[in-house]
Amino acid sequence: MKTIRIGGGQGFWGDLNEAPVNIARNDAVDYIGCDYLAELTLSIMSRQKERNPQKGYAGDFVKVLKEILPLLKEKSIKLITNAGGVNVRGAVEAAKQAIKDSGLDLKIGYVLGDDVKDLIPELRKQGVRMENMDTGEPVDSILPTMVNANVYFGAEPIVECLRGGADIIITGRATDTALFLAPLAYEFGWRADDWDALSTGILCGHLLECGAQVTGGNYDFDWRAVPEPERLGYPIAEVSRPGQLTMTKTRNMGGLVTTQSVKEQLFYEIHNPEQYITPDVVADYSRISVRQTGQDHVLVEGVKGKARPDALKLCIGYTEGYRNTAYLPYGWPDALEKAQYAADILMKRLKKKNFLAEQVRIDYVGVNSLNGKLAHQIKEELNEVVLRMSVKTKTREEAEKLSPEIAPFILNGPPGSCFFGGGRPKPEEVFALWPTLIPRDAVKLQSFVEEA
Amino acid sequence: MKLKDIAHARSGDKGDVSNICVFARKPEYYEIIRKVLTPEKVKEHFQGIVAGDIERYELPQVEGLNFVMHHALDGGATRSLRLDTLGKTMAAALLRMEIEYNGKTVDRNTCA
Repeated sequence: MKTIRIGGGQGFWGDLNEAPVNIARNDAVDYIGCDYLAELTLSIMSRQKERNPQKGYAGDFVKVLKEILPLLKEKSIKLITNAGGVNVRGAVEAAKQAIKDSGLDLKIGYVLGDDVKDLIPELRKQGVRMENMDTGEPVDSILPTMVNANVYFGAEPIVECLRGGADIIITGRATDTALFLAPLAYEFGWRADDWDALSTGILCGHLLECGAQVTGGNYDFDWRAVPEPERLGYPIAEVSRPGQLTMTKTRNMGGLVTTQSVKEQLFYEIHNPEQYITPDVVADYSRISVRQTGQDHVLVEGVKGKARPDALKLCIGYTEGYRNTAYLPYGWPDALEKAQYAADILMKRLKKKNFLAEQVRIDYVGVNSLNGKLAHQIKEELNEVVLRMSVKTKTREEAEKLSPEIAPFILNGPPGSCFFGGGRPKPEEVFALWPTLIPRDAVKLQSFVEEA
Repeated sequence: MKLKDIAHARSGDKGDVSNICVFARKPEYYEIIRKVLTPEKVKEHFQGIVAGDIERYELPQVEGLNFVMHHALDGGATRSLRLDTLGKTMAAALLRMEIEYNGKTVDRNTCA
């Protein structure tokens, strides 16, 4: 029976660059998928592209390519990634240069058409409503501050690239799961309406898309038991037929694959388990079971699928004011009381500056900044605590009022403070997301395969 | 006893929605967490933190429960003023819960 092995080489933009290289070097896989995009990533990339038209994609991917290219060629591994962000052409050019520099003969595939920012006014004219799918609000009020607008698309255009012989495929906002479903649909010839088969690819993608979160990272069950956490083996899925797969990890490396590590990832960011909606299929996780079949091998079976949705998800990023966050440490004795006293002084000084905030949040790192009111009462005196103040404002000027107020506390405030990190806190733009739906035929996705 | 002693969990985010999947550390604990962790109890636990509704899905074949908590992250990762914008620590916040079963505090030795 034919078995396809796929590695998950990247959980987000900022994950270990060495991870996909280690999969290629230490194990035998047919494909590696690298997911670089989280909800906020495209807004950040859009701002980078505005400042420099060459940017707007995950530049780290090009660093990965330089190391991994010889391994891809030698071991016939294909690499699929959404590293293209909001500048797929830019990423493709950089990738082509890396391939040329390597002297290897590798074809590059890419998908264009998910970036619909420039089409939004025309779509509005055509009567596409784009109401917020959570709140039902009309879209027009946020369009003046729109930063990016990208459609989440599925596996089909990636399968097109594979049919065209691409060795490396770069997309923009393909869903994380599409990167992994595509090679399976291509290899096994799964029909576009074989919902149970397609859901197997979604399950595969879902388990791989967060990298080491399924092989011992963020492992609540028993984090102390994870072997060699300094060199975690990233995940590999083995798929032979619809409805089941085996999860394992890169051989000769650390980490683990247990029923618990798989379960923790299986329902990560899942809402209704019967309705995991993707552009390719609505996957049903409600009857999935897991079974340890060997060391670091877990069989996952029972995934089902239902017909894909008619509309695609569109996510519009827009700006919503500014955020500024300051930290101020205090030490023993009376650390918490001093930090609270400093917060009070700080609020009085901001009031004198007629500070207008949409929201102010004060926390004490070491006491309650993570679990809030659920944190237990501290009875003993703290050795140290860090005051954290975070503010949200309409304008950058307003947010900046906090910036010069922190350092003077070291001389002017209660005794025993020091700098926390370097320099004055800087305001940052706040991005908000507008999730909505648009008809499939409003989006024209195109696949290309080219020589480097 | 705290929920942490009989369950493990992971939390994730989508916009302003935080989900926590909770699993029994041993199969025999599943019935306890299923009985104890009602949506109402979880809502009460997160009072002042989670502003919206909480839905619960039962996952008996993996001895788990999935909680979907709306308006849980102060507007969501992109706009939240929380230190933990993504709610990665929401799972631990749930596992802090003191639990009682059949009117008494659960003891790991008696419920096995």
